[in-house]
Amino acid sequence: MAWSARQRAGLVFSTPWLVSFAAFGLFPVLFSLGLSFSRFSPTRPEMSRWVGLDNYGALVSDATFWQAVGNTLFFAVGTIPFTTGIALALALLLHARPPAGGFFRTALFVPTVISLVVISLVFRYIYAPNGMLNWLLSSLGAGGKAWLQEPSFALPAIMAMDVWASVGYYMILTLAGLKAIPREIYDSAEVDGAGWWDRLIHITLPSLRPILLFIVVINTIRSLQVFVEIVVMTQGGPLNRTLTMVYYLYETAFYKLRMGYGSAIAYALFALLFVITLVQLRVFRFGRAVGE
Amino acid sequence: MLDDFEARHPDLSVESQQLTWQSGFEKIVLAFASRTAPDLCEIGSTWVAKFAAEGALRDLPESPERLAAEYFLTEPGVLNGNVYALPWLVGTRALFVNRSLFEEAGLDPDRPPETWSQLLAAAGRIHALGPGVYGFGTNAGERHVLYKKFMPFAWSGGGRILGEDGASVTFDSKANLDALRFYLDLAEVSLVEKQAVLDQVFKEGRIGMMISGSWNLKSIPEEAPDLDFGVELIPRPDTPEGRHVSFGGAEMLAIPAESRRGEAALALARFLLEPKQGWRIAREVQSVWPSSRKASDGAPPLEPGAGVFLEQMETARTTPTHPRWVELEDIIDTHLERALYGRSSPEQALRDAEAEMESILSAGE
Repeated sequence: MAWSARQRAGLVFSTPWLVSFAAFGLFPVLFSLGLSFSRFSPTRPEMSRWVGLDNYGALVSDATFWQAVGNTLFFAVGTIPFTTGIALALALLLHARPPAGGFFRTALFVPTVISLVVISLVFRYIYAPNGMLNWLLSSLGAGGKAWLQEPSFALPAIMAMDVWASVGYYMILTLAGLKAIPREIYDSAEVDGAGWWDRLIHITLPSLRPILLFIVVINTIRSLQVFVEIVVMTQGGPLNRTLTMVYYLYETAFYKLRMGYGSAIAYALFALLFVITLVQLRVFRFGRAVGE
Repeated sequence: MLDDFEARHPDLSVESQQLTWQSGFEKIVLAFASRTAPDLCEIGSTWVAKFAAEGALRDLPESPERLAAEYFLTEPGVLNGNVYALPWLVGTRALFVNRSLFEEAGLDPDRPPETWSQLLAAAGRIHALGPGVYGFGTNAGERHVLYKKFMPFAWSGGGRILGEDGASVTFDSKANLDALRFYLDLAEVSLVEKQAVLDQVFKEGRIGMMISGSWNLKSIPEEAPDLDFGVELIPRPDTPEGRHVSFGGAEMLAIPAESRRGEAALALARFLLEPKQGWRIAREVQSVWPSSRKASDGAPPLEPGAGVFLEQMETARTTPTHPRWVELEDIIDTHLERALYGRSSPEQALRDAEAEMESILSAGE
């Protein structure tokens, strides 16, 4: 096949990226796919052997794995609506150009640029038995808790922190979406007598649909991979109530050194993510607006 | 320190890499996986069996008996009668006592609890002082810690995790049940929290007693100079044969099987095992001691309470040497925690843990 000079140049320029992607992206992904069908011990790689579907078979009957799946889904379902809803509400408020809007926009965005490890450490103190939250509660006359030690509260506590930490980023995205809606549509709707609520339902939300879809999809992908908060704050406890899929895979692969089983967990997570994202794309595209 | 070694062995040169506690283990595993392991490396005592069972470590020319006579905590390095790793730095846990709270509760701080019943009674008296004050500190809600706190009680009553042969599970036993019931009673008059929180609340003067490590010997006087605390042996069962057993962990030195400089690596290991070299590190890292049984002879001046740790070392025990120990550990932690949170009865917790451990053992590998 003859390559034109243009094609050759394109290839040359994309080679560095292709090579690094193949080495550090594609190869590990395919290697771990292979691992998920093997019994692999990192201390003696030459002793590895093929076990077929054994790892996946073991997953099906692993109660801890299903608990991790449940916790992970609970985390996603319990955070994404709040994150998206609060981000939308904040963006609408800021879009109305309130006084000191710039200050609030920056303040709300700040958590996004702070390392999640730092945020988690700070919240570990906020949630501590003699931490700020309990101090606040007791000054209001309410009783406190050891939030991260209570099986029923540990995961919700981390979820609340996650909403706080990520809402600013999605707010900025939503705000950008709002700014892209042409002013004229609102003007003509107003002339036609549409109130605030009508404009929100019939203009703002439909126009924001692509950005909201983007937010929900990336937030889902991010939420299902929740890990850092867990490492820093609870390590899966108490009673595995905060054990998420990625944390379980980390424990399995890098502490128990069961790399094959860990890879199977990783691919189970991949399958879950794939299916959920596919469903989200279908649902959101359903009933598209006229002209879309 | 390594300069001294090179001065003694002019033909050898040592390159060392310091690893962090968090990522060090992953780096060592990676080095083995990529066949770039160093000639000598430090491995935590609970992992040696796994590495050794897979043939990743060199069989050292040592007899287990001779080694045990000279050093503390040699068991984790011995698998099937062969020595694969030497204990370098060892650590154990002892009972920390808040002497002021003892006085407040009408107890004599110079007569700290020696037996379980005395411990429970003292913890109860202190716990009753009021809200915000706890008799004891019980660990929960974090990984790889709870079994270290429970097993001393189980061991001191004669309980075990695995049988002598290491091939059968003997966890569901009367001795372990007694220990677990006692531990749950203790939890009733405890703050149940993570170790870091327990250490912190102890420094605030609100925990009567807790089992913790020697890092506190330095950090308590630094962070809570006014706290009047003492260090005691871990209380024993009330029965005459009950002993003051504690949990011991060791950083072991092992030579990867693929090392081509095994002799030199062994010479370096023996050098590092000298009490003098061990103390150099122990002075920097507050939670470890040299592994030599004679280390206390050449000891530099130590913090008050350190003597108790050295004494406790004599009866410190390590977890069973089993290639799949880290998985067994997780099972024990899981079911102890279930009992602690009232999700299982003590009987059920031991039964479940035993069954799950048996399935790991019977799976082999």
